[in-house]
Amino acid sequence: MKCPTCHRPSKWEDNPHRPFCSERCKLLDFGAWANEEFRVPAEEPAPSLEDGEQNPAPSNDDSDRLARP
Amino acid sequence: MDSTYKEETGLSTATLSKKRDSYNATSITVLEGREAVRKRPAMYIGSTGEMGLHHLVYEVVDNSVDEALAGYCDTVEVTIHMDNSITVIDNGRGIPVDYHKQEKRSAAEVVMTKLHAGGKFDTNAYKVSGGLHGVGVSCVNFLSEWLRLEIWRDGATYEQEYKRGIPVTKLEMTGKTRRRGTKITFLPDSEIFDVNEFSFDKLSERLREKAFLNKGIRITIKDERIEPERAHEFYYRGGIAEFVKHLNKNKSVLHDKPIYFEKSSDALSVDVAIQYNDGYDEKVYSFANNINTVDGGTHLSGFRSALTRTINAYAQSSGLAKNFKSSLSGDDVREGLVAVISVKLPQPQFEGQTKGKLNSDVKGAVESFLNERLTEYFEQNPTVARKIVGKAIDAARAREAARKAREIVRKGAIGSTMLPGKLADCQERDPAQCELYIVEGDSAGGSAKQGRDRRFQAVLPLKGKILNVEKARFDKMLSHSEIKTLITALGTGIGKDDFDLNRLRYHKVVFMTDADVDGSHIRTLLLTFFYRQMPELIESGHVYIAQPPLFKVKRGKREEYIKDERSMVRYLMRQATSDLKVVSDKTKEVFEGHKLAQALEQVVELRRYCEKLVRRLGNDEDLLHLLLKAFGGQEGILHEGNTTLKGVFQDEVGEQIGRVEELLSEAGYKTELSSDEEHGLWEIETTAAGGSKVKIDWELASHVEFQKAVEIYKTLEERLTAPFILGENGSKETIESREELLDRVLNTAKKDLMIQRYKGLGEMNPEQLWETTMDPEKRTLLQVKIDDAVETDQIFTILMGDAVEPRRKFIEDNALDVKNLDV
Repeated sequence: MKCPTCHRPSKWEDNPHRPFCSERCKLLDFGAWANEEFRVPAEEPAPSLEDGEQNPAPSNDDSDRLARP
Repeated sequence: MDSTYKEETGLSTATLSKKRDSYNATSITVLEGREAVRKRPAMYIGSTGEMGLHHLVYEVVDNSVDEALAGYCDTVEVTIHMDNSITVIDNGRGIPVDYHKQEKRSAAEVVMTKLHAGGKFDTNAYKVSGGLHGVGVSCVNFLSEWLRLEIWRDGATYEQEYKRGIPVTKLEMTGKTRRRGTKITFLPDSEIFDVNEFSFDKLSERLREKAFLNKGIRITIKDERIEPERAHEFYYRGGIAEFVKHLNKNKSVLHDKPIYFEKSSDALSVDVAIQYNDGYDEKVYSFANNINTVDGGTHLSGFRSALTRTINAYAQSSGLAKNFKSSLSGDDVREGLVAVISVKLPQPQFEGQTKGKLNSDVKGAVESFLNERLTEYFEQNPTVARKIVGKAIDAARAREAARKAREIVRKGAIGSTMLPGKLADCQERDPAQCELYIVEGDSAGGSAKQGRDRRFQAVLPLKGKILNVEKARFDKMLSHSEIKTLITALGTGIGKDDFDLNRLRYHKVVFMTDADVDGSHIRTLLLTFFYRQMPELIESGHVYIAQPPLFKVKRGKREEYIKDERSMVRYLMRQATSDLKVVSDKTKEVFEGHKLAQALEQVVELRRYCEKLVRRLGNDEDLLHLLLKAFGGQEGILHEGNTTLKGVFQDEVGEQIGRVEELLSEAGYKTELSSDEEHGLWEIETTAAGGSKVKIDWELASHVEFQKAVEIYKTLEERLTAPFILGENGSKETIESREELLDRVLNTAKKDLMIQRYKGLGEMNPEQLWETTMDPEKRTLLQVKIDDAVETDQIFTILMGDAVEPRRKFIEDNALDVKNLDV
């Protein structure tokens, strides 16, 4: 199997950094996530949904307060 | 021999009494030196443990190496005896034996009994001397139970013995010899040392180092304590360049040849050897006058500054640092660095507890020398320079990544009181009972929050961030804060030092995304994150995928949820075929009920494979059907005896493939039949209706969709042979093809049904979502296995990839696979 970062061979068994070949490669990958570098294709957003967060979906937080002790 | 000694010392009776007094006086100071060393040995040799013990050997060897530096010696032999006593022999000039007027003893005895004495008390003796740093061989003498000295000089042999630093005999001439050199044998005093076992490996390592530092000197070591004896010989012509190669042994190096610079002058000589490997550690040895300056010093700082400066300068000028804003730190440029820097200078100054730090003012000289030479080297060796700079940039990126990781962890590690606001947590506190639904999209999140059983089900709505990359291209990603939220909610922390599976707050982590292409992409993204950064969760079976239904079917008052296309078709078949009777006009075989449903499911299967296969045929449906007919039709070539698919392409005469070609050209296709010489296989080249060139060869035929399509087609041709007579409620009707039959049946089935296709989770109301997807009694959860995750990562890599074509193709293919059967 290949290391997702450097594409050099990597192994799964007895490898604390699996699937990466090294701690470094795992760290670089995490950096890329944190840096918002990983993306997948998406459909064009519907204009109305663009500000979903301000769009108070009905009952969005109805239950969570009750759920907490 | 006493007489010889007297003769040599030239004492007269007249001066004897005076001499005796002063001898006594000197003895006292000697004794004072001895007492001081024995009282606080650690002050002189570092410790009374292993390190100090071994230091004794280095001290003696250093004297010999000094002789070598002065050009009088080229061999040093070290032996560890069975009782852990040590012998060091060199072929130098031999310690001077003549009478030392000031000290009123033989020079040799002075060397052996006076602190900081030795060959070096004459400043002209050696221009540069390592021993100056040391405490002198007298310390070794003071700390030895016994020490025997043998000197071969000017044709004679001299001997003297000491006990704990006190001469037992005078220096005596004991014989004649043609040899030259000095032999010192000593047994470390067990009253002083906590340990008395010498380590062969430790001594070997240090002696090897000395051999590297002094090109051309031969140092041997022998261990007599074990049988058979172990021995090494160290002799390096390449000096420190060979040293770095040795240090990089078994490492994968960035450049084969070490970078080597040297400069030699009376005031300061500098030798530097550098070789990078692909690891992350730094291994730099610095020496001043052959002394390993373990704490560095001015020469090392000069070296480091020059390295950092030159690499940064090259990164800028070469444009390699274009996408990297901050500059490369010293740590960055030293990752994977293996280097040796050795300076030689008169009267070096050291400081520090163990005197392992050079204090002389050489930083500027070393730095400017290296700046100049390294810049020149990079200009002349751009390939090497690029590799080194590239590595440093990688290191800087990793440093940045580590900083970000810490940032995320710091905010997340505070505990459950800091759970993210948008997490709707559950009441249960036992992780084994808890489930976390990770839902993408706000509206779905709302339904899930309302629909869940809040006693044990938590909901975390994540929102993918949408980016407009190009005019018509949109990308979705997880923002920095969403990742933080996710990790905090899970509770495990992240990264080498922080991740702990035992802190996982939910033993079921369920991804719930829309059943469309977008949803599958975001699931790929999430799953890839888990697979890469917390594979332990997947390994221990904590990660699941929810299976929301794709359809809701209503018949009268009855409602049913159907999870995917295939089940939908099956459902429709069941509905439609219950009061339908089909007869094949040709075979007169009757199909009804379950049998009809099964046969029609095969038609659906064939349609699925054909959809994939036709893409390999330039989307030419006619060509596809011709091929199916040619291979799997009732008169097709596979109907004959034991013909195999591969056999068609292998056949020597090419008779069968010839028939395929004939069929195609009869239908108006331009064809060319040829043989692929390399594999000895036939192939037909033709042009699809759309104009694209298509090859009908083993490569095409080996695809699963080709083989499956042909196989199913062949079975259907035999069993479900068109045309058909359809009998429904007494009426009769003729249907020409299987496809038509399928459509007809599906349409009949749909007549009484209300079918709702869910495009997103948000279209389901909370009750529906609970009932179909979240209720443990009714739901199906798909447990993610590592193999699935590996595959997901591959898909992700294609989605992420820079290669535009495979990415576009994959999205299209994937979209087609998700595409609904037109119900």
